Amino acid sequence: MSYAYLFKYIIIGDTGVGKSCLLLQFTDKRFQPVHDLTIGVEFGARMITIDGKQIKLQIWDTAGQEAFRSITRSYYRGAAGALLVYDITRRDTFNHLTTWLEDARQHSNSNMVIMLIGNKNDLESRREVKKEEGEAFAREHGLIFMETSAKTAANVEEAFINTAKEIYEKIQEGVFDINNEANGIKIGPQHLPTNSNLPSGGQYSSSNQGGGCC
Amino acid sequence: MDYLKSGLKSVLGAQADSQQPTAAETVERLVERVQTSTLLDDRRDACRALKSMSKKFRVEVGAQAMDALIYVIEMDRNDAEIVGYALDALSNVISGPQDDEDYIEGQEEQDLGTQFTEIYIKRTENVTLLLDLLEEFDFKVRWPAVKLFTGLLECRPKELQECVLVSPMGVSRLMDLLSDSREVIRNDTLLLLVNLTKGNANIQKIVAFENAFDKLLDIIAEEGYSDGGVVVEDSMAVLLNLLKNNSSNQNFFKEGSYIQRLTPYFELQGDSSGGDMGWSAQKVSNLHLMLQVIRTLVSPNNPLQVISSCQKVMNQSGLLERLCNILMASGVPADILTETINTVAEVIRGHHANQEYFATVSAPSSPPRPAIVVLLMSMVNEKQQFVLRCAVLYCFQCFLYKNELGQAQIVQTLLPTSADVTTITAGQLLCGGLFSLDCLSNWFAAVALSHSLVDNPTQKEQLLRVQLATSVGNPPISLMKQCTTILQQGGKVQTRLGLLMLLSTWLAHSTQAVSHFLSIPTNVPYLTSQVGLAEGDEHEDLVQGLCAFLLGICIEFNDDSVPSFTRENLCQLILKRIGQETFFDKLGSVSKHELYSRAAQKPHLKYKQASEVLFDYEFCRLFKSLEGAVIRAVQPKPKDLVNGPESNMTVQQHSLLQQYKDVIREQDQRLNELQKEFTELKSESEKSQSHIEEMTSTIQQLRDQNALLKAQRVASQSTERSGSPSSTDINNLQHEKEELQKQLENLEKNLKEQKDSCEKLKKELEEQKEKKQAEAQKQEPLVNDSELIGTIEQQRQEITELKQTISRLEEEVKTKKEISEEKQGELSKLAEEKRRLQQRLARVNDKNQKLEDEKSRIQKEKQKIQEELDSTKKEQEDLLILLTEQDNKLTTYKKKLRELGEKVEDDDEDDLNEDEGNDDEDIDEVEE
Repeated sequence: MSYAYLFKYIIIGDTGVGKSCLLLQFTDKRFQPVHDLTIGVEFGARMITIDGKQIKLQIWDTAGQEAFRSITRSYYRGAAGALLVYDITRRDTFNHLTTWLEDARQHSNSNMVIMLIGNKNDLESRREVKKEEGEAFAREHGLIFMETSAKTAANVEEAFINTAKEIYEKIQEGVFDINNEANGIKIGPQHLPTNSNLPSGGQYSSSNQGGGCC
Repeated sequence: MDYLKSGLKSVLGAQADSQQPTAAETVERLVERVQTSTLLDDRRDACRALKSMSKKFRVEVGAQAMDALIYVIEMDRNDAEIVGYALDALSNVISGPQDDEDYIEGQEEQDLGTQFTEIYIKRTENVTLLLDLLEEFDFKVRWPAVKLFTGLLECRPKELQECVLVSPMGVSRLMDLLSDSREVIRNDTLLLLVNLTKGNANIQKIVAFENAFDKLLDIIAEEGYSDGGVVVEDSMAVLLNLLKNNSSNQNFFKEGSYIQRLTPYFELQGDSSGGDMGWSAQKVSNLHLMLQVIRTLVSPNNPLQVISSCQKVMNQSGLLERLCNILMASGVPADILTETINTVAEVIRGHHANQEYFATVSAPSSPPRPAIVVLLMSMVNEKQQFVLRCAVLYCFQCFLYKNELGQAQIVQTLLPTSADVTTITAGQLLCGGLFSLDCLSNWFAAVALSHSLVDNPTQKEQLLRVQLATSVGNPPISLMKQCTTILQQGGKVQTRLGLLMLLSTWLAHSTQAVSHFLSIPTNVPYLTSQVGLAEGDEHEDLVQGLCAFLLGICIEFNDDSVPSFTRENLCQLILKRIGQETFFDKLGSVSKHELYSRAAQKPHLKYKQASEVLFDYEFCRLFKSLEGAVIRAVQPKPKDLVNGPESNMTVQQHSLLQQYKDVIREQDQRLNELQKEFTELKSESEKSQSHIEEMTSTIQQLRDQNALLKAQRVASQSTERSGSPSSTDINNLQHEKEELQKQLENLEKNLKEQKDSCEKLKKELEEQKEKKQAEAQKQEPLVNDSELIGTIEQQRQEITELKQTISRLEEEVKTKKEISEEKQGELSKLAEEKRRLQQRLARVNDKNQKLEDEKSRIQKEKQKIQEELDSTKKEQEDLLILLTEQDNKLTTYKKKLRELGEKVEDDDEDDLNEDEGNDDEDIDEVEE
């Protein structure tokens, strides 16, 4: 399906905080209580609408384990948005946020929108990190903040969509250089001037519309 | 060489012509200069010389100059020229001279490159250094750096890939090179990426993340798609690497709508009217790779979800249509056609919409023929290339895979109703192939036909209806009959294996087909004789194995409708004629065969040559699923347990055995009966046992009751005895009575004596009176007086004795009275008790009655005795009165005597006391 923009996201954070579950809930609208450890990076995609425009989100879900850190670093640069996830029932995952943020800032482009996510807020009884602490951290480092539950799907849509809105606004403001693909943003095919190299341009775009992926 | 020599001269200065230095010496000098010279120009010149030498003297430069060259690229980074020379030199050392046309790298050189690579990457910093140099924009640096990196990757891909992954932004930097506007660098980067992405999923994903799909497809489009040059080929190679076995990237590729962008690739330019002219070698390899990319996305080994979504997009984007156009176009080179057929096969495999589309494709001939028919014609044409025929079969299989409608359509063309003489149908082609003289056609047709039956019971039955007209005038014969006839005629191994696979698929899970097969009388004897044959060559063994399998299927899916070949009969046949061991051996030989395991791996037929064509994937699946069932079906049932030894017996032994069996059976029956009886008895005995127990317990109870009753009785008797009418009591009473009577007698005696003594006294008194009177008259009373006093004293004594006895008797009577009164009270109590116990003590009652009677009798007696006693008392009283009278008389007599002047001493009391002791003794005597 055609889209106005394509945004690349990455999801980062300690192992076991629910990164893969957030992605699964967002792309497939389901929750899987037992999930294997992510090896390296996994890919997922979904279409959303912002301001009446179709926006395609391509999301790379990274492995949280330290062993994969060097691999996942390779994904920072090309992403327009990052979801930095911690687990509200495990304080250590909150304590590691600074390290994650330093890593992200160091390897990503400076305009990358980072959304801080306190996941698993359905487990109120086991909460170790107060919502106020998350808010304070986000304020301090200039991030957007949200508490979510991949299990109940609470705020999951909002987390991904609000990040996209922020990126979209930055594009409108002209902060992003949309022609540099390294920023993780792409303009949709029909928004580009028609490629004269295509021998059957008309057919191409029609078949493209019929493609119906996502 | 002249150039080299002059170069050397300019660097090293003039040398004596007489002595030509060896290469090693020259390199040594150059290295020394690079390391020691303080002037950049000198070092640069030395590096240039080393670069030149590295082409011809790879070993020497590599062995001696490596460190120096690395030192240069590390320390002299600011000078692009010297770094360029150094990198070029290193690149030549690693990969050999690239720009030398004549240079052909042999195994030895390759080993050399690997060794030098190992030396270079021993320090990981060297790799990082190289990655840093890639950032250098200067062409003089960047280009040789890319080449060196590619060389290193070619020699040691795993280690280099790890280095790149570990270094931050490593992949990103390499990907940036693709955007280099200088084509040479971009193109060489493609080569680098081919090596970098080989077999490393993590790198593949990062490369894809770095917009590799976009960049690659852009390059391909720029270069003119399939008409492009080697750059397109390289781009396709990278694309293929990124997608192969990487479902995350496949997903990304599909989600990113890149499949749609592939479609123009298959647009055939200029109608291909120029025949083979339009197909350059480059175009062939470009298209070949492109088809590989498509197949990678829909490979049967991928996750089902990925396959079906990609298949859907390929249909919707028109890709399938374009592929089918290539299929039907003329002048397409055979290997492209083959690969296109394979690609179409996998694009439609198991996807209904695509299969349906494929069924509608027709060749641009007049009249138009369905593509399927055209393809099948190639398959059964022995003049066609082997790989092409394999591809057609694969395509046909994929068309029928999970396609009931397609299967029905194919079988339909064989049925008499739809027979249309004018057009060629798939069915006709398959039958033609089945019965052609070409064994490969036989095999292809048989397998193709078997695929129209896979998991489809309806078509198995439909195919039974197929009749064939063999020759004019002969009656038509059924397809199955024809198949088995050909099978039994022998022929090539492939013909027979194909037919056996077809028959196995046909008969499996279809009792109708089995009974049809069994009703052809020659079939079972053929199969048993085949299985029973001594082992032939390797392939003959397989034929026998499949015969065993088919025979097993005939048993497993037998509904016993053919009387001579029921399930039981066939089992017996195997046991008697073949032997179980042999049967299982033959069956097992199939799955042990190398070609079987190869065919079982994946659906795609990958035969290198015609002789390898033996098994088909679907058949292997069937064999795997039914092998166990067949073994179980043939395995003897429990009742046939003694079969083993029995088979080697003579008739006599057999009859003897039968006898023994009968005996055993009889005994068994008896044993059973006895056992039954025994169990009955046992239960009975158990019942009676429990009965007995009950009874004993009742008896015990009764005994206890009895004992209780007895005890009660004894108790009551004892109480009765203590106060009344029991026999001992009566005895006692009688005894008492006797005693009393004795006493009474004594008393009477005493009384008599007393009376006597009284009378005596009276007489004496009278005598005395007379004497006195006489004395008084005669005055001689003295002598009489003393006598009198003696008598009186005697009398006194007697009287006192009597008195005492009487009083004692009185007391005794009194106590007796009291006792009897008490006893009477007690008796009445007992009577009450008795009355209560009367019911239980029925037997005792009578006795009691008697006792009571006796008691009353005794009471009467007692009363009598009492009465007697009373009378005695009266008598006593009378006597006492008499005594007192006598006493009075005595005293008067005494007085008279005193008056008369006789001294009479009053010693009564003393006398009495003395007498008492005697009295006691008397009483004792009486009591005894």
